[in-house]
Amino acid sequence: MATDKELSDFLKSVDKRAFKRALYAVRDQDAALDIVQDTMIRLSQKYADRPAAELPLLFQRILSNATMDWFRRQKVRNAVVKNFSDFESAGSDGDFDILETLEALGGSLATESASESVSRAQILLAIEAEVERLPGRQREAFLLRYWEELDVAETAAAMGCSEGSVKTHCSRAVHALSAALKTRGISL
Amino acid sequence: MNPTMTDLSNLPPPAALDALQARFALKLTAMLSEQANELAPDLSERLRFARESALERARAARRAEAVSLVGLSARGAAVLGRIGGSWWLRAASIAPMLVLVAGLFLIQRWQENVQISVAAEVDAALLADDLPPTAYRDVGFAEFLKTSGE
Repeated sequence: MATDKELSDFLKSVDKRAFKRALYAVRDQDAALDIVQDTMIRLSQKYADRPAAELPLLFQRILSNATMDWFRRQKVRNAVVKNFSDFESAGSDGDFDILETLEALGGSLATESASESVSRAQILLAIEAEVERLPGRQREAFLLRYWEELDVAETAAAMGCSEGSVKTHCSRAVHALSAALKTRGISL
Repeated sequence: MNPTMTDLSNLPPPAALDALQARFALKLTAMLSEQANELAPDLSERLRFARESALERARAARRAEAVSLVGLSARGAAVLGRIGGSWWLRAASIAPMLVLVAGLFLIQRWQENVQISVAAEVDAALLADDLPPTAYRDVGFAEFLKTSGE
């Protein structure tokens, strides 16, 4: 059973990323905060007796479900402005070179001046915008796999899909992000 | 091409592509983390409030679970005690009644035996006497007994 401190530490370690994940999906700060709070409460009320090691996967699963619940409620209220069921990528991956983008990102980690800081902040915002623009399932797979650092099986369990689907979604997401960054002409 | 890229070139194409994708993704998510850690103070405060609310719920859930477990065990013990007490009380209340009934039955049997034995002695005395029993029905003999007694 996770102790109070373990639960507290876990929630503290995950809350900001969870908020961002929810925000990328719903694009509304208040709704994202509500979703995260709802997720934390659900986890605390129903799964506080689980071992601490199980909390990350449970939390991600609950967060995904809470986000889906939010979309369902919005749909019921006829207030959905985004077609969440469109999980497939809208366009082709386009012409891009992942190596080129990777090298550019690697170079950005060097010492930076004030102007570079501003530029870097803009790049961070651009990356967030591109992540937000990803199709829902791709974004979820990408963030769970690489941001939450779940393995493929755990990501599949959290998303309720096969491991093959996770790999496909992740690959498409990475390619889409790489292409989008190149298209934006981001030179880091 | 940097040394890491050279290392990746030694991998088979699918594995190398996967490794490249993973590196790219991890760099991106590192930047996302950097952005996430710079949340506005009001958002951080609201997240802290959400955390504390959730922790309070967890504590309440644990307390409720503990209370229900204690209540269940206490209730079980109480039920067990009531059932046990009832059995003992019933046995204790029935036992004197049984003893009383048995005693009355034995007394009745003893009195019957006494009456039978007395009647048998009378009968035996009458039968063993020299005077036949039919003599007591004779009016003259009855008058003789009355006058001789006086």
